[in-house]
Amino acid sequence: MALKHGGIIRIAYVRLALHDSRLRQAQFFYCDSLGLVETYREPDRLYLRCWHEAFPYSLVLDEGPDNRLVEIGFQVRDAAELKALENNVMNAGVQVQNHPAGVLSGMGESITFDIPGGPTLRLFTELPQIGYMTGFDSPDWVTPRSLRGTPAPFFLNHAGITVPDPKAAVDFLTQALGFVVSERIDSDDGQRLLSALVFRMQKEAGGQELAIFPGPAGHLHHIAFTKEDPNDILIDGQYLREAGVNIDIYGPTRQSYGKTFSLHFQDPFGVRLELCAGGRLTEVHPEFEPVRWTESQLGKALSYFDRDLQTAFLAPSL
Amino acid sequence: MAISRFSYASMNVMDVDAAVRHYVHVVGLRETDRDEHGRVYLQAADVQDHHCLILNPATSAGVEHIGFKVNDPADLDEAAAAVAAYGQPVTRVAADAISGQGEGIRFPLPSGQHMLLYFHADKVGYATGMENPSPVPPQGTPGGRVTHLDHTLLSAQNPQDDVKFLTEVLDFSLTEKVIDPAGNTLAAFLTCSHTMHDLAIGPGPDGHFHHMAFGMDSRTEVIHGVDLLKENAVPALEFGITRHGISGVTTIYFHDPSGNRNEFYNGAYLAPGAPGWVPPIVWQAEHFPRGAFYYENAVPEAFFAEVT
Repeated sequence: MALKHGGIIRIAYVRLALHDSRLRQAQFFYCDSLGLVETYREPDRLYLRCWHEAFPYSLVLDEGPDNRLVEIGFQVRDAAELKALENNVMNAGVQVQNHPAGVLSGMGESITFDIPGGPTLRLFTELPQIGYMTGFDSPDWVTPRSLRGTPAPFFLNHAGITVPDPKAAVDFLTQALGFVVSERIDSDDGQRLLSALVFRMQKEAGGQELAIFPGPAGHLHHIAFTKEDPNDILIDGQYLREAGVNIDIYGPTRQSYGKTFSLHFQDPFGVRLELCAGGRLTEVHPEFEPVRWTESQLGKALSYFDRDLQTAFLAPSL
Repeated sequence: MAISRFSYASMNVMDVDAAVRHYVHVVGLRETDRDEHGRVYLQAADVQDHHCLILNPATSAGVEHIGFKVNDPADLDEAAAAVAAYGQPVTRVAADAISGQGEGIRFPLPSGQHMLLYFHADKVGYATGMENPSPVPPQGTPGGRVTHLDHTLLSAQNPQDDVKFLTEVLDFSLTEKVIDPAGNTLAAFLTCSHTMHDLAIGPGPDGHFHHMAFGMDSRTEVIHGVDLLKENAVPALEFGITRHGISGVTTIYFHDPSGNRNEFYNGAYLAPGAPGWVPPIVWQAEHFPRGAFYYENAVPEAFFAEVT
């Protein structure tokens, strides 16, 4: 093979710990209200996925003493690529831990490390797919009947995180892990990087697998799921309100930053979630150029429809 | 490293002015350049490279070549060696032989259509600019609200030969395929990214072009696109707006003035991104009408008969 797509291939999952006895409340919210699908249940863990995904989980929930972001998982092309990334991370002065297979269900050997001022990432190569809910044989690619009446997002799209020094985190993600910046927000004097969207995937609702915001080290800002169409997101907002879910102050809006049509809302534990459609089809290429925002345009960047900056939106949610 | 995107289609047209009017005022592309050979270059709103479409003055319609970018300059030599070793002849293309792009290599697929790989593209930026951009195009922008050139479908007498070449030499993944009762591949949907298809191969004569598709952000934009086609009396597939069972996208087919088929579509399908991680969806030939046109459950004869 002359040409080979290497390194990190895709965002696989976000893993949270929630203070929730037997994860009953979480299961009710994520399955019944949001429309994710339970794959496996362990005594203190739930594995959930979106209906269009072939892999067994994109959201992993652990029962824990407090609510927190545990880690974000990325799948790497093969074992040699994983070893190369491990060396890159160590060469950047970041400590790496090696883990045997089976840390999460079905997963092969993995490595974990903390990005500078940020959360733990887990990289692995093996995670057997369990098949599409709609099957492999001449399928109807239609939202399964059991999920209708909920948002039932198609895919995990990205995770937003907060870090004290966005430049240090973005430098590490781009230099050690091969991420590419699709959009960035700088201070008006151009001296400080405040935020960036970074990606490894060229996808239809594209441009970000990680969204970096300034804030406390290693916290979760939000988790975003892919929808096909803004019209669906308007309807999804109705389903969520009917289920008693709190919608973010912006309501449904165009988010100029990332060029999505988005709706932000909260789970029962305060976790900010997003349904998004749109984005741009980006390209993992050294000449790819990011969109540049200046701090004074933050209101327009975060909500094209509202324009007023809601500072509460910048706070982490977990 | 690897192929980083399906970048452009270089199309032959009999009337360049009519084609430019179509691609600007109906499809919604922006003209970015012209060259001394009479070629016109166009790009969609949300892509920052120099062009996604080249219109070549010609005496017949069809595809002149399709362009893909690689993300390491060394990929060109590596790919040239691998393609030649596979048995396909490779030629070098000098920088600026095509406006706005660096040197490349060119070779035929087993079905005869030419593919060009290159590393560098000049930048024109997004239509809304690269600094503090609005998320929507400026008021008065003509045509459909297309965001990018998404994929193309070429015809082949033996689609499996192209599948073998693309997966074995260029690291494409197969997401869905249609097979006949004997198991032969009738159509194949291949990606070099996480989209459902960058390059698809369908049944038909070697060397020919079936369609190229322009992405839109919503089904509403596709409906608006159909309205535009009707207002402009653009020849379109008789079904009007429809849905592909394969891939599950909302779509309409129509033709440019030279007869090259275009598509507006919207969909969110996310492919796994590496070959072999997830097996392809397999459509039995008996289900193909539902796979091609989900609502109508029928395939118009012209759909495969008309290629350029």
